[in-house]
Amino acid sequence: MTLVLIAMIGALLIPMIEALRDEDIWQRMLAFASIATKTSVMILVIAVLQDDWMIGVVGVLILSVGNAALMLLAHIIKRLSDAIEG
Amino acid sequence: MCWPIALPMRRGGRSAVDNSYVYAIVLLLPLSAAMVVFQANPYQALIMRGILGSLAALIYAMLGGADVALTEALVGTMLAVTLYAVAVRSSLVMRLGVLQEEGMKPSLQGQPLLDYLRSLLKRYQLRLELVSYTDQRTLHQALAAKEVHGICLPSAVEQTYDSDGDAPCILLRVPRLYEIFAAELPGAIAESRLYSPEDAAPLPKTPTLTEEHG
Repeated sequence: MTLVLIAMIGALLIPMIEALRDEDIWQRMLAFASIATKTSVMILVIAVLQDDWMIGVVGVLILSVGNAALMLLAHIIKRLSDAIEG
Repeated sequence: MCWPIALPMRRGGRSAVDNSYVYAIVLLLPLSAAMVVFQANPYQALIMRGILGSLAALIYAMLGGADVALTEALVGTMLAVTLYAVAVRSSLVMRLGVLQEEGMKPSLQGQPLLDYLRSLLKRYQLRLELVSYTDQRTLHQALAAKEVHGICLPSAVEQTYDSDGDAPCILLRVPRLYEIFAAELPGAIAESRLYSPEDAAPLPKTPTLTEEHG
């Protein structure tokens, strides 16, 4: 189970490098979405690993709420880029 | 001092941080924090802040602080990023007052100027917002009432400010914007001036009662 978690840390490095290197704002939003989902799933894995249901509930909440924040931010950025172009 | 000893113990006496993967995840936190600090564009910095919040929530949950992780995700990531996005969107903007006929049809003279201004302001993370006014009197009133940061006067009607050539004149009331424009805007594209309250606005002469009787 720990090996699964270490593999997930390695997978977490991929969007981090993508966010570090790519200058395009939508590529960074994609990296943010990937990181937000991956960290939430990692919290769930840790909850199972430690047999702690409190962390599990928090992981589910973060999984749903983190994506809501992402959609709000994407909406504002889209309206902004529309205002700049048009 | 060995700090993992001081960390909370989980049920059954097993430490929450007795695995080596914790250190690998904790190392990602200063990396993402450095990405926030060294990012010049405010919107991209907000995305980095979201990444930082996600990683911080993961670390808090891993170390046993489920309530702290939930607060970080709700307040630190969702509320702060959204509020900052709204604040940055409404504050990092330059409002330029233009005459309506100039703003409506893309004239040969106005459009390259607007494109140049947009690219100039983009270097300072600002965006340009055009506010249309019907005539020159309301344009000057808007600048005096601080509704806009600057106004763009076409060269044909700009006689009182003795502008040379046929370049349009941009009248600014913010000193920092005037510094940027004076340093980086070529005089052939547009001429920039700083507005001062004693500048007499070229108001059109309205017929008064004394003229009628006299």
